[in-house]
Amino acid sequence: MILILSDLRDDTVEMVLPKLKRLGVPVTWWDSGDYPARSRITLALGADGARRLMLHTATGTLDLSTVTAVWRRRPTGPTPAAHVSEPTHRTHVDWQAQFLLDGAWDLIPARWLPSRREPERRAHNKIINLARAASLGFAVPETVFTNDPAELVPAYERAGGRLVAKQINSDSFTVDGADHRTYTTVLTRRHLTSRHLLQHEPVILQPYVPKAVELRVIVVGDRVFAAEIDAQASRTAREDWRHYDDDRVRYAAHELPEDVRRRCAELVASFELTYGAIDLIRTPRGEYVFLEINPNGAWAFVEMRTGLPISDAIAEWLARGARDE
Amino acid sequence: MSGDFGATLAAGVALLRSLPRRRDQVEWARKEAAEWGAEHPAVAAQLVVDERPGTPVVDYDLLLTHPDGGTVALTAPADEGVPWLIEHSTHWAAGQLVSVDEVHLSVAQALTMLRSLSNRDSTPHDEIVDQCVILNEVLSDDEPLTTEDLQAAADEFRRGRGLYDRAATLAWMERVGMSPARFEEYIGGVARRRRFRRRKEAELASGYLAAHRSRFDRVRAVWWAGPERRMAASPAELLAVPSEVTGEIQVTIGERWAGDLPEPLRDAAPGTVVGPVEREGRFLTGAVLDRRPAKDDAETLAAAGRAAFADWLTERRRRASVEWHWL
Repeated sequence: MILILSDLRDDTVEMVLPKLKRLGVPVTWWDSGDYPARSRITLALGADGARRLMLHTATGTLDLSTVTAVWRRRPTGPTPAAHVSEPTHRTHVDWQAQFLLDGAWDLIPARWLPSRREPERRAHNKIINLARAASLGFAVPETVFTNDPAELVPAYERAGGRLVAKQINSDSFTVDGADHRTYTTVLTRRHLTSRHLLQHEPVILQPYVPKAVELRVIVVGDRVFAAEIDAQASRTAREDWRHYDDDRVRYAAHELPEDVRRRCAELVASFELTYGAIDLIRTPRGEYVFLEINPNGAWAFVEMRTGLPISDAIAEWLARGARDE
Repeated sequence: MSGDFGATLAAGVALLRSLPRRRDQVEWARKEAAEWGAEHPAVAAQLVVDERPGTPVVDYDLLLTHPDGGTVALTAPADEGVPWLIEHSTHWAAGQLVSVDEVHLSVAQALTMLRSLSNRDSTPHDEIVDQCVILNEVLSDDEPLTTEDLQAAADEFRRGRGLYDRAATLAWMERVGMSPARFEEYIGGVARRRRFRRRKEAELASGYLAAHRSRFDRVRAVWWAGPERRMAASPAELLAVPSEVTGEIQVTIGERWAGDLPEPLRDAAPGTVVGPVEREGRFLTGAVLDRRPAKDDAETLAAAGRAAFADWLTERRRRASVEWHWL
């Protein structure tokens, strides 16, 4: 049995389900956002070492000990029943439920894609993943993580006035009540005049890396797929392709040099992950520069725009556990 | 540095730190800076407002004349407790024009989309540039607008959008998010551009008429346009609809300025059949029935003025520096 943990509206799961069906492996798709309000989990540890790991959902019962592979895609967080209304009670339920889930997942003797929560959380940290990439031999930009205003101008000068700033971690916030975003920003002298505000939050400072193309590399187990994203024709998306100017951004499959391909697979494995989305830049001089790894990063747009068979690879990886039994 | 100038600098910093840093408060900030400038005439203070795209946050600089010559630029952002990247963030939809259900349309995509829908004579790009060219021309126009100017501009604007009563106008304003004050201001802008256009047309009309006289002959003509070649020996044959005609045809009988006729008929002599001629995928056959030479009357001069203005605008657009930021 394959267990897919994700929001039931997740279109990416829909891309893999038909492939799993063709492979003849039974699948349960469940969202932990259903727990504990609409689902029940019982973990029983007997004195003789026997275990009973049961998940009861609105659609059926699953013996979790029969699960051979788990795809932890984008599950939503535990949700208390609606009429548990007192805020501290809701927080209490969240807290207890998350602990139960972490424990349950630890007891399932299955292969995980990309991993249980903890390895993913560690790999997601940009400081850790940049340092790890450098130690594996990736070229990385000279990088400063800081909230010291005094660091800003020297970094700007070292970068010859072409310095970019990035968030340490993505999040949401508002300005005057409206949702705002922070994209990779090429700094101007105006940014320097507000250097004092740097003391309020750590940021990432890097010299602007000239791009021939940006690359999103998807690693599934030991398979590596690379897509080039050429945003140079778009003024909107040139510095950060997440501006999505699809009329002017070109996507194509990309053949990585063998050493870069190998390093991508090593990086993912070094975090005990079985999946990773790695962002690289290929400079006009042909150098591959590491930017970051997103341990549960998006791949559906890569497959849709390049035809790379990533959904097949994910389905095969998940099914392999069942077939190996 | 004299003590006076040092004190002025300190006062300038205090001013900058007190100004509200939101786009909708800039006018208030300008007034404050103007009052401050009046109190410190020796430094000829000017406030520079830096309106960043995609955010309501603005920055200010204050330019001052140094006692020994040269300019001193002051900038003095205070610590308002906003983390640096949030201070420099942009609205999530910056660069987006409209979101419809799950589709977020960027400005670039919208303009491309409109281009494909536009007519052959004018793309939305040209139309936008034309409006900007005219805006350039009225930038320094501070001549007061008369009530008649405003009323005529408002009437023309409303007629153009089918807003025939107050309720329809108010509904339109609500749909586009325009307050009554903003609408009044907007109509003021329309009136200025309209006045410029009218004056330019009047200025160019008689010279243009003299140079393109035959284009303003009054001409009565008949022409057929359809998918098949239609032969005719005389204008009279064109006026009769034969029973064997199949498919959709368009017959036009009308009086026009010669320059507004289909191109093959513009210079044709009365009584002569022209065509069939292939034109935009259809076949045109026609004849001029009557041609009267152009007069110097008001109607002809107005038409010459409109044509002259169109030519002037095309030439002005050709010379303009145009940069599409998002294309």
